[in-house]
Amino acid sequence: MADCGNPNVEQDALMQRRKKYDRTRQCVKCHDQLGNVVIRHAVYCKGCFFPTVVGKFRRVLEPSISKDKSKKGLKATGNLCLAFSGGLGSSVLLDLIGSNYFAAEGDAGHDWSRGRGGGTEHPRNEPVWEHATVCYVEVCNAIPGARDRTEEIRQIVSRLASYAKFLPLRLEDAFDHAWWERVGRSKPHGQLFVDLGHQDLLLSIRNTSSSPVAALKAYLASLPTQTAVPTAIHNLIRLLLLHTAQLTNSSHLLLGTSLTSLSISLISSIAQGGGFVVREEAQENWQPDSTSSQKVAVSRPLRDVGMKECAIWAWWRGLEVVGKENYLGGKQGIGALTKGFIIGLERDYPSTVSTIARTCAKLAPKEASDGLCTLCERPVQPGVQDWKERISIRQFDEKAAIARSQPGLIQRLCYACHTTLTSPSSRGGVGQSAIDAVQLPVWVESRVLGSDEMKDVVAEFLLDDED
Amino acid sequence: MSQDTTISLKVEFGGGLELLFSNKRSHQLTVPATVPKSTEDNATKQADITFLIRYLRDNLLQERQELFMENETVRPGILVLVNDTDWELEGEGEYVLKNGDEVVFISTLHGG
Ligand SMILES: [Zn+2]
Ligand SMILES: [Zn+2]
Repeated sequence: MADCGNPNVEQDALMQRRKKYDRTRQCVKCHDQLGNVVIRHAVYCKGCFFPTVVGKFRRVLEPSISKDKSKKGLKATGNLCLAFSGGLGSSVLLDLIGSNYFAAEGDAGHDWSRGRGGGTEHPRNEPVWEHATVCYVEVCNAIPGARDRTEEIRQIVSRLASYAKFLPLRLEDAFDHAWWERVGRSKPHGQLFVDLGHQDLLLSIRNTSSSPVAALKAYLASLPTQTAVPTAIHNLIRLLLLHTAQLTNSSHLLLGTSLTSLSISLISSIAQGGGFVVREEAQENWQPDSTSSQKVAVSRPLRDVGMKECAIWAWWRGLEVVGKENYLGGKQGIGALTKGFIIGLERDYPSTVSTIARTCAKLAPKEASDGLCTLCERPVQPGVQDWKERISIRQFDEKAAIARSQPGLIQRLCYACHTTLTSPSSRGGVGQSAIDAVQLPVWVESRVLGSDEMKDVVAEFLLDDED
Repeated sequence: MSQDTTISLKVEFGGGLELLFSNKRSHQLTVPATVPKSTEDNATKQADITFLIRYLRDNLLQERQELFMENETVRPGILVLVNDTDWELEGEGEYVLKNGDEVVFISTLHGG
């Protein structure tokens, strides 16, 4: 796939250079100024570029916010939670939210390039969201050699989003009972472990004193492929953000995913068996559990805005972009390969990338879901187990026979998470038992042990640390 | 004569690309106005952005040229602005440099 990185090199050498824009250099909007930038073959002048991006942004975001009945304008049912990685997309997101919905008093006009904005939803008295939180997940403990950037990010956020409260998290919080209690959940008894070497992914409860960082590292180290690690990190971040959105009473969790990064994650998700949830990859409503009243709408308001538009926006607005930690892993992981491919495609065939995202948006699974996956809390494709049974030759395993009554995680996973944890191609057959059981994220504990029936069954397999 | 033989330029890097160039965003450069067409023969051409990209690699780039260049042009994901205008409107690498031009290279690869 690396060779597809630049699909057009040979043709370009032979053919006459194609123009990257249609017809003339005149701006397609005002038909007056000469253009400054080409966006998917259309030419825009600098003055028209800013309102065009704002328009795309608001067209995606605002339908998910309810109209205020008494007054004109929008009023969300909860607060706002913004995910920030330090990367280009999320920097542009904080800027757009600030200038459209939280702009300072005495705002005079719409000179976007001078750092001032203000749309029609721009608050005179009543803000769309009462409070905004910017949430950053520090991933340094998952990436060898990475440094802790929390303080640097705090500085950036104070400049980029003075309207919001900064709430830093750490990836290892996913394994921390103290964090789970902070988000308002009850403390589980003991830690839930999974035996990744066993085909049923047997569960057990242990009492360990290992730190959340150690649990995180052990979890990632136990994954079978290069591709699985970034996928697992991505999922941990997603769930940390969702629970934080719930904690802050947010009705909206906004991510800075651009059209380009959306296409990358869609393709890479499908390649990893996430086809059933392609719609959730673009837009989802998350309900922490059936009893909670507040749903969290996860939205990617930049999903029609490409990486190029984001970069030009940031440059012309003078935004400081520190960049995000790259956790795509090795160059041969599916995520990294897909990224190289899409970025090359976007340069040479700029319209293709938006076609990918639009096509995926139209995909809808044929069957209703069988409930939520305990690991990623996304819908589970019905009959995943039947399917897995049909395609894999189950080995006869004495251990399995002995442990038949011990509950396994396998019944509670979606296909994509099952693949992330086990990847049959790399981990079949011999040597399986060499993998030690690893601790699972706290929300899995909560879901598995949430039902009394399960609690009793797993409790029978309560193991001491020296099991 | 110096007006004709050299060109003064301002070159800027953004989006993290400056990290490859001594962590300096803005560079003032003087480049020859006429340059060899290729390394193989003696034919010459007016200095264009294709030349500038190679010049930056050979003279200013500190590390990891694969993050800046690929196949004799900038790597996909790097945008080029000439005097605040997308180089795609200016003929890309074939744009002929003029005295006082401002050329900006912005990386989009920092992700979302
Ligand atoms: Zn215009
Ligand atoms: Zn899952």
